[in-house]
Amino acid sequence: MENILEVKNLCKKYKEFELQNVNITLPKGTIMGFIGENGAGKTTTIKAILNIIRDYTGEIKIFGFDNKKEEKKIKENIGAVLDDMFFPEILTPNDINSIMKDIYKKWDSKLYFKYLDDFGLKKNKTIKTLSKGMRKKLEIATAISHHPKLLILDEPTAGLDPIARNEVIDIFQSFIQNEECSIFLSSHITTDLEHIADYITFINKGNIILSKNREELFEEYGIAKCTKEEFEKIDKKDFIKYKKSKYEYEILVENRKAFSKKYDVDTIDKITLEELMLLMIKGEK
Amino acid sequence: MLGFIKKDLLMLKSNIKILAILLIIYVVMAFQDKMNLSFLLPFMSVMIMMSTFSYDAYNKWDAYAISLPDGRKNSVKAKYLSTIILIIITTIIITILSFVISYAKTNIIDFENIIATIFGSFFATILLQSFIYPAMYKFGPEKARIGLMTIIFGVAIIGGFITQYVDFSSIINILNFIKTYWMIVFFIAIVLMLYISYKISERVYYKKEI
Repeated sequence: MENILEVKNLCKKYKEFELQNVNITLPKGTIMGFIGENGAGKTTTIKAILNIIRDYTGEIKIFGFDNKKEEKKIKENIGAVLDDMFFPEILTPNDINSIMKDIYKKWDSKLYFKYLDDFGLKKNKTIKTLSKGMRKKLEIATAISHHPKLLILDEPTAGLDPIARNEVIDIFQSFIQNEECSIFLSSHITTDLEHIADYITFINKGNIILSKNREELFEEYGIAKCTKEEFEKIDKKDFIKYKKSKYEYEILVENRKAFSKKYDVDTIDKITLEELMLLMIKGEK
Repeated sequence: MLGFIKKDLLMLKSNIKILAILLIIYVVMAFQDKMNLSFLLPFMSVMIMMSTFSYDAYNKWDAYAISLPDGRKNSVKAKYLSTIILIIITTIIITILSFVISYAKTNIIDFENIIATIFGSFFATILLQSFIYPAMYKFGPEKARIGLMTIIFGVAIIGGFITQYVDFSSIINILNFIKTYWMIVFFIAIVLMLYISYKISERVYYKKEI
């Protein structure tokens, strides 16, 4: 399968934070969910992919082209929703149309206004009068109205109510119907990703600690729950992290089936992304 | 590029009223021979354009702009060009009005004086833009505005001091030279100032960690 986005050994150093050898591969026609806690490096990675930040090292290829050398060609085919970064709020959706048709060669005003109608957005209201959810919808409509092949979305569903989130997710899913298109999507709302992402990439403290096909992840990973006595018999090599609660131990295991064959524990559940995040970040080893 | 210029000009919509009020004040003052305020409109154009930097910063437009095709290249260029467009438009309006008012009052048009005054205000406005824009990019709109006030205040104090204690005979020679060739000198100075200022702003913007 051809890759639409390849990030190799991406490093970026700040005073108190560092991205360390970030590697990401996003195949064409798929959605990758990018998860991690606040300050883990999600936005920095996205900014590097879009060549917004300076002085990072590593190689980033989008559509097979270097993101610095072929920047213009690449950006004609990317739609981005960035966390809290957008047009100045005194502009209106109508202004955005007027501006974007002179920025993107393939800007489709008809499609843009169709999205505005679908989202119930008024054309002449300034951005500052919009609610957070409506503003997010406007950002999404703006990102997809030039027929991009890759959507890069940083927290696109943050601040949306469940109904609006569903609408937005439906748009992402219809976008991906075209097999030439892909989505790279960071989100705190892990339940959204459980439904739509084909791949899950997990970043923590600037390091990618997991990148896997969603089906494999949910099929293989699990949480074993056991007593203190049972836990003490388990070899450390056989689990990733554990968390001690009041009455039991929760153990994150990489292979549920192999673990249940080796150890006699009562419960091994399938994992949710939220549990995975919690155990990976807060768990002990 | 056109899209980025449009963005800056569309941001001025809410300030059109201020410019219209200033225009009325100018016309009233000019008819009453109270004060020559022909500098007011172009000067306010820069001040209003400066307010767009604050909106840009508040909504983190710079980062978003870079995610667009040729965003890094065009952002600074568009800001300079849209400001110059606005200064030129306001200067043309003021020039036409000055001619009309001059004719209405005296039945003759005082070309030489009007052109000299308006050219002077145009030069001063470009000078202001050339100084303040690199500071806007380097320090951000809030600090740059405070810096601008400090500079204006400082120049006024130092200027007042100098006029009392410095011998101006050598400067008068230079002024005489400028008087003879003032159009060419001012034109070269404007182009040079803008070019240097733009290059500094561009460099600051390229190096800036957004």
